[in-house]
Amino acid sequence: MAKTVLVVDDSLTMRQMVAFTLTSAGYQVVEAGNGKEAVGKVTGGAKPDLVVTDLNMPEMDGITLIKEIRKMPALKFTPILMLTTEASDDKKKAGQAAGATGWIVKPFNPEQMMAVIKKVLPG
Amino acid sequence: MSTDLSQFKNAFFEESQEHLTTIEEGLLQLEQRPGDIDLLNRIFRGAHSIKGNSGMFGFTAVSQFTHKMESVLDQLRSSQMVVTVDITDLLLQCLDCLKTLIDCAKTGESPDEDQVARLGAQLEACQEGGIAAKPGAGADTPRPSVVPGSHHFTITWVPPRYLFQRGLDPVQFIKELGDLGSVTSVILDTSRLPALADLDAEQCYLGWTIEMDTVKDVKVIETVFDFVREDSTLTIVDMPPSADEPHSSSAGTKPLGEILVETGVVSQSQLNQALSQQKRVGEILVEQKIATPEQISEALRKQTESSAPAKKAETPSIRVDTVKIDRLINLVGELVITQSMLSDLGSRFEMSQLPVLLERVAQLERNTREIQERVMGIRMVPIGNAFSRFPRLVRDLSGKAGKKIQLILSGEETELDKTVIESIGDPLTHLVRNSADHGLEPPDERLAAGKSEQGTIRLNAFHEGGNICITVEDDGRGLNRDKILAKGIKQGLIAETDKLSDEQIWMLIFKPGFSTAEKVTDVSGRGVGMDVVKRNIEGLGGTVSIKTNAGKGTTFTLKLPLTLAIIEGMTVRVGKDTYIVPLLSILESIQPRREMIKTLVGKAELVNVRGTYLPLMRLYEVFRLEPELSDPTKAILLILETEGERVAVMVDEILGQQQVVIKSMEQNFRKVEGVAGATILGDGTVGFILDVRGLLEIARRDVSIAA
Repeated sequence: MAKTVLVVDDSLTMRQMVAFTLTSAGYQVVEAGNGKEAVGKVTGGAKPDLVVTDLNMPEMDGITLIKEIRKMPALKFTPILMLTTEASDDKKKAGQAAGATGWIVKPFNPEQMMAVIKKVLPG
Repeated sequence: MSTDLSQFKNAFFEESQEHLTTIEEGLLQLEQRPGDIDLLNRIFRGAHSIKGNSGMFGFTAVSQFTHKMESVLDQLRSSQMVVTVDITDLLLQCLDCLKTLIDCAKTGESPDEDQVARLGAQLEACQEGGIAAKPGAGADTPRPSVVPGSHHFTITWVPPRYLFQRGLDPVQFIKELGDLGSVTSVILDTSRLPALADLDAEQCYLGWTIEMDTVKDVKVIETVFDFVREDSTLTIVDMPPSADEPHSSSAGTKPLGEILVETGVVSQSQLNQALSQQKRVGEILVEQKIATPEQISEALRKQTESSAPAKKAETPSIRVDTVKIDRLINLVGELVITQSMLSDLGSRFEMSQLPVLLERVAQLERNTREIQERVMGIRMVPIGNAFSRFPRLVRDLSGKAGKKIQLILSGEETELDKTVIESIGDPLTHLVRNSADHGLEPPDERLAAGKSEQGTIRLNAFHEGGNICITVEDDGRGLNRDKILAKGIKQGLIAETDKLSDEQIWMLIFKPGFSTAEKVTDVSGRGVGMDVVKRNIEGLGGTVSIKTNAGKGTTFTLKLPLTLAIIEGMTVRVGKDTYIVPLLSILESIQPRREMIKTLVGKAELVNVRGTYLPLMRLYEVFRLEPELSDPTKAILLILETEGERVAVMVDEILGQQQVVIKSMEQNFRKVEGVAGATILGDGTVGFILDVRGLLEIARRDVSIAA
């Protein structure tokens, strides 16, 4: 069964690029435009094997989303990768403290992204 | 992997436009609400997204410039700097520059480096005025370089307790090490395991000692532990490989997988899966593609599309609410069901089932109509996109004209066809400029007239019948009847003796070359514009009307069809053929008396309609048809008008009025003079839609040949 990745980003372009890269690699993708939508998708029945989320988003930001996800029994141990614009330590630390698994630094190319995903998502 | 993201460039440009609009609107609002953190956050997010996305496509000029803007915005939102007029002005200038940069990225042109550098420097200066710039984040401290070559590493790793809670899996780390070289031994350290009673199953108490051979250096090995390095106890010792070192699992060492299975970290099946992948590093993706052929073909299609020669031209695209698409898909589903019910019925049809058949056909009709409506709906976008440019325009205009102007927008959510929206931008701009420049009085004049100092321009959009109305309203001085009349007479547009209604007088301002402004300003008054407005709106099948109240203000109302794909038409018959005449261009229809018809030398004919001679065209002659009636006094003359010119077109009979869907002639056949397009009529035959403009051309030519 193909693994499902929940991609959360308020930028449609970014979301589509991440989604396209993932689908090309054989993953199922569920998309959400912000944290609130993402929580909605999960409570609505989506069971992601991995969450890739932007941090700076309207409605509900990435950090809050990560905290929310970690509260859900089903997603307690699901890897969560943050999309960050620069190697900003504050953001990374805040995300990790909230329970994020790791990060992908923008800009990235598909290979770089898949390399990071492979780090955390069991084949 | 050859996943090509360049296909998303168009999406990027489109999305950037939205962000630019958000930033612009935000900056303009910021002047009124300088302390609004939500607003600042929204502006910041817009800039942030542009920065992030442009980097993905290698538009470094864009991302670098946006980064500078973002830094200033960041200080504003963290209250390290106060919003001032200077800062908003600078940011607005930068926004314009950013627009240019993005345009350049799109067209491949080179931007104005000086301007970019100047504004960039200003941004930096502005930032330093706040607090000192943040040091470049996260620059890695240089590490001792390692001699390239083969290494044998002994890695001791005690991961943080929270390992599992952050969604990390130790097996992944070891697998990743396996990708970098060959792991020769993995030894599990269980010494930290507490007594069972104290054991928290969600914590990680384990440690590992891993030995591996690799050509990669220590830095690369460290990257494996990137996400946990800070909280792990990690030592990586490089020991040169000794000659007699066993290379892989030999008698003394158990294979890694075996240990993992034994310790219960992974199951045998998980291990097998992992191992099977390890063999095919880099091929996993291909492997999985094979599993889903649809995805391959889709990806291949996308790939061929993107590998086509990069076009600089903008492909028109449209953003559609997914809800709309989902509904459409549902409908298509229903259509498929109806179709299968019908074919099922058809395969064993008996006359007794006729009622069922009729019911199914009715259902098919319903489905079709609904799908048609929904597909039309896809092209419908909110007019707010076209309105969004006006706050900025009005701000600039009020500065230039020295007037205080307030802009009120309403009805932004009103939807209309994307093509229409794209074409009304310019006419609307003209009207708003006109209101700002001519309509609204300077502050002192307003105060003298007992009005508030600040003038108001109101833009509104709403649906009315099958049309959309857009009004541009100002509370200025109103149109001056005498001035317009005098000017019209002076310019020879009308005669002094003409008796004109107010409406006719107002319409004079749409005549080419007409302007009553005493002085030509930067903004308007050159007499170009208003005639263009009328021409553009009529080109879209719409109308313009004016309502004005001396001293109280003027309202321009644009009435436009919801879509360009469907027109309201009059069906007429010539001989056996049916033609459609756009309803908007029909003024009246008459049956002339004999004495109204005049024949010029040659054969061109004119018809006298209440004192005005109009060219008379026999449609059957233009299209070389066999008419039923060749005597104009027995037939019907349609008086058609476009762009102020009129022509009388002779047809046999008027059949009725109906909405028709326009099919392009050029796309399906070729351009035919006098024909704007074709449509499928109710009985399945093709009917031609007359092109009034084209007919006028033909008429003019005939008359000039005759003369």
